[in-house]
Amino acid sequence: MTKDISLSLLNSYKKVINSYDEVIDHNGLVKPYWQSLFDTLESIGIEELEVRNQEIINKLKENGVTYNVYDNNNGINRPWKLDPIPFLIHQKEWQTIEKGLKQRAHLLDLILRDIYGPQLLIKKSIIPAELVFDNSGFLLPCFDIKQKLQNQLLLYACDMARGPDGKMWLLDNRTQSPSGSGYALENRTVMAKVFPELNKNIYRNRLSPYFNHLQQTVATLGNISNENPNVVFLTPGPGNETYFEHVYLSSYLGYTLVQGSDLMVRDGFVWLKSIDQLERVDVIIRRVDDEWCDPLELKENSLLGVPGLLQVMRLGNVAVLNPPGTSVVENYGLMAFMQNACKFLLDEPLLMNSVATWWCGQPKELNFVLENIPKLIIKKANRKQGFKSIYGRMLTKDQLLELQTMIRRNPKDFVAQQEVSLSTTPSFIDGKLVPRFAAMRAFLVSDGNDYKVMQGGLTRSSPVKDKFVISNQLGGLSKDTWIVTDTPTEHYERIVVRKNTSNQHNNSLTSRNAENLFWVGRLLERTMALTSFLKIILDRLNENVNDKGQKQPEYLVVLFKSLTHLTLTYPGFTEEEDTSIFENPTTELFSLISDVKKRGSVAYDIQTLLRTTQQVSEKWNYDTRRIINLIEESLISIKSSSSANINQATHGLDMLYTRLFAFYGNIFETLPRDNGFYLLEAGKNIERILSLVSVLRSAFSFKNNEEVENVLMEAVLENHHLLAQYRNIYKSHISLVTVLNMIFLEKNLPYTLSFLLDTLSNCLSKLPKSIEPNRLNLAEKTVLEASTKIKLIDAESLIKADGDTQYRPELDQTLAQVFDLISAVTSNLTSLYFNHSVIQHSFLETIEKINSDEI
Amino acid sequence: MRYKLRHQTIYSYVNSVDNYHSVLCLQPQTLPNQICHNFDLSIEPSPTKVYPRKDFFGNIQHYFSLHEPHKTLKVVATSDIEVLPKILPPISSITCGEAREKFKNEQSLKIELLQFQLPSHFIDWDEEIKSFAQDCLAPTKPLFEGVSQLSTKIFKEFQFKSGFTSVNTPLKTVLKEKKGVCQDFSHLAIACLRSMGLAARYVSGYIETLPPKGKPKLQGSDASHAWISVYIPEMGWCEFDPTNNIIPQEKHIITAYGRDYADVAPLKGVIFSSGEHKVSVEVDVIGKEN
Repeated sequence: MTKDISLSLLNSYKKVINSYDEVIDHNGLVKPYWQSLFDTLESIGIEELEVRNQEIINKLKENGVTYNVYDNNNGINRPWKLDPIPFLIHQKEWQTIEKGLKQRAHLLDLILRDIYGPQLLIKKSIIPAELVFDNSGFLLPCFDIKQKLQNQLLLYACDMARGPDGKMWLLDNRTQSPSGSGYALENRTVMAKVFPELNKNIYRNRLSPYFNHLQQTVATLGNISNENPNVVFLTPGPGNETYFEHVYLSSYLGYTLVQGSDLMVRDGFVWLKSIDQLERVDVIIRRVDDEWCDPLELKENSLLGVPGLLQVMRLGNVAVLNPPGTSVVENYGLMAFMQNACKFLLDEPLLMNSVATWWCGQPKELNFVLENIPKLIIKKANRKQGFKSIYGRMLTKDQLLELQTMIRRNPKDFVAQQEVSLSTTPSFIDGKLVPRFAAMRAFLVSDGNDYKVMQGGLTRSSPVKDKFVISNQLGGLSKDTWIVTDTPTEHYERIVVRKNTSNQHNNSLTSRNAENLFWVGRLLERTMALTSFLKIILDRLNENVNDKGQKQPEYLVVLFKSLTHLTLTYPGFTEEEDTSIFENPTTELFSLISDVKKRGSVAYDIQTLLRTTQQVSEKWNYDTRRIINLIEESLISIKSSSSANINQATHGLDMLYTRLFAFYGNIFETLPRDNGFYLLEAGKNIERILSLVSVLRSAFSFKNNEEVENVLMEAVLENHHLLAQYRNIYKSHISLVTVLNMIFLEKNLPYTLSFLLDTLSNCLSKLPKSIEPNRLNLAEKTVLEASTKIKLIDAESLIKADGDTQYRPELDQTLAQVFDLISAVTSNLTSLYFNHSVIQHSFLETIEKINSDEI
Repeated sequence: MRYKLRHQTIYSYVNSVDNYHSVLCLQPQTLPNQICHNFDLSIEPSPTKVYPRKDFFGNIQHYFSLHEPHKTLKVVATSDIEVLPKILPPISSITCGEAREKFKNEQSLKIELLQFQLPSHFIDWDEEIKSFAQDCLAPTKPLFEGVSQLSTKIFKEFQFKSGFTSVNTPLKTVLKEKKGVCQDFSHLAIACLRSMGLAARYVSGYIETLPPKGKPKLQGSDASHAWISVYIPEMGWCEFDPTNNIIPQEKHIITAYGRDYADVAPLKGVIFSSGEHKVSVEVDVIGKEN
């Protein structure tokens, strides 16, 4: 019975195939391993497949797997797309492919060493000189950098697809900082969770040996200078499209994730700036492109690199994977000369075909290209952002002429590749199995002399029918990639054991992350405080709904004004002359909730918070990430809330509030009590004190009549989460003296100023000391001063108001002083712990400044 | 001619600088017509170590870094240089057109020259630059004569004016305003030559200047200088100084060769600081009796 349906699913797929397909062999028969996959899919059923597909989407989202697209209007995170149908290659075929890949890696390594060495390839006219000297990847400062292992090309990735002859063809090389291996691993992990039954009938090779090889290579490189090397993973930061992968891989491999500003060069070594010391760095795995690695000798305006890095590399005091300069072999033009280079350097023919490539810098090739554009894909020899490959057959007559003129003007800049027909592979799209073009990225790592190939890869397929659009930037789908075997393979994992387990290198807190965690604390609390206060105001507004259209009661006016002070969104409700805003306060009120462009609004605060949490994504565990996703969802609902539906807005704020609390709860229960935790807590407490003091000041600096003041006292108590306690003790009697005494002095209630200041000073005392342990540092002194001011108050005297102006000078000034002191703690902490963020400038001495008249 | 050369650069910063990385290109080379007898580099505050290095073009660079807060940085390079008389080889009658063909077709020549024919960091050209170069460097014109003419043309049509351009002023502007300093004129001449398919490189160095008659030479009155070097088949690399319209002889001291200023800047650096900085440079080229 099952068999019958299986045939029908496979048959229905076979019916929609309109080109040669991965599933079918050259005799027109279904390949046996695809047959078993289809059998399993059949037993799962197409409806269940849809359910699992949704599960994949959820899992990826929960795991925070994204591929950032720079010009995507819908925020910067695009979820990673994973097709539930894997891409299969049988091991027998794979062994042949592997040989081709290894040969290619060796070849590129030799070309690389020749270009930065004797340049025999140019001298013997095997490759044209232009493709070296006019190659934007050829970096002169790198000519005298040789790392200690024989292979200079340590990591290599290439894209392949099945060509018309049924073999895998090489489409593209990635040599400077190949990305994708982390996504491949995550794809495998998610697939294994969502489709446990898929691997029951099919044996597939494991991906982890590749990563073990990588760790061993890193250990070998690092061992040259340090028996327990300190390894960092250098990322350009959260703005980078593959940032997820940097976070994921660094944590999987056990290396500290850093940005350029976390590193510095000093005394011939590279150092990691952690908040209390400098740690020597032995190996850098970089995801920063070649040119951006060292602003001193390469791109001078790069803020992503480390000034002086190249010099340390020359001294052999740090190893970099891959060393800068490797992008020279990514040039498309070189692909036209691979066959000859292979014969010259390896004395053997190329094992793996590349797509036929013509470099227009030669007259014969130029003519061929100009005459055959409709059959070709035109690219620039130097990879440059912004130049999209042009498909000749898609051009109109005018466009064709235009392209020809462009090529003729600078033929050396252009490369043409044959547009080959590639194979299709089943993809699950809109609930159906349909054929789509696909390409697979393979990953290789050198052990010094030889290359190891990942037993799998990252396959990307086109979401569009009959089109080859696989890049993630354009919305391509990814696939788990299986090297299928007939029998289960045993695997031996060699684990790199750290020689010194007491070594804490890999959880160093960089100064940058210290600052980010501090700001996570502040921004989280800022959002909390505002949400909480808004809820109080919305409640009062709802109670007051009967008076609609009339003048707002005085207590609401005071609360509205407090809101403007709290959010610093002047003039807002504080306009002295024009009070018309109170006739319809909801417009301003709701812009403070939902207007993401308005600095100080809830939406704005959430967005800033989310951005900052992303800066330190490696610190969050799975659950924290889920909560962050929920907060992200809240942002969407908050952005859409409108004054037309106050209840819905209140509901949205309630939801957000609970989620923010879940965030607090989660980090409080799970974060290790290290410097990062205490900085986050310090940030939270600073912000909490500042926001409470701000509301207190606005509410009570001027005396109001008793009725108004009673409502305000209730509101303020609620804002401090103290209303219930207060009623418990004082029942219905409410007086400003008792209220202030409680808010200022009560030691055991978490939202009183005394409690918060004590907590803050406790956090600060846990942070590292550069001076003698018993001496208070600047931040601690400032908090002590504020705390003393609060604890010395006399509530009776605080509430005294001037008979004419109703101003309460002592209350207002005390609160103002405390506010200023606590504000200053941030800059104290900055100079103590975050002092890395001085701006970096590059400059050249300029001749025009020379004071001389004659030259 | 023997010279005592002193090149002093002082940076003063408004806010103190905590970290500083620098690459210097200040040491004159020893060449067939020039001997560097002695070179000394003094840096204040003093770095832990100075690392010398030969760059891709064979120039000597020095790298150092500073990590103590400082508000001034002083770099003084002194050298004892002997410049020997240059004997100009017989002038070749090869034309611009012939030279260009040679560069295209002779493989070994092509490899040597290509990087000096391509656009570089500060040098690129457009139709305007081409048409400026056209009459001097027409295909039938003898190359040597053409370059001399180009040098004269720049000397006559352009006004030397310091402070008008900066290192980042595009050549277009220099050509339009007809003003600049030696660096601009050299870049412009190189752009002209490269736009015609010829090979030219940038020379960084010094020139001895003489005080007005009857007056003593003032300290620090000299300057670093730049001129060009052009490849002329049968003659080899020949130097021209478009700023002074002369063929460099014993008064020119060579520090470094490069594709343009970016390759051979006397001093480049990356600082970590939040404020402005000022720079003052003093150069003395003092002739010594042999």
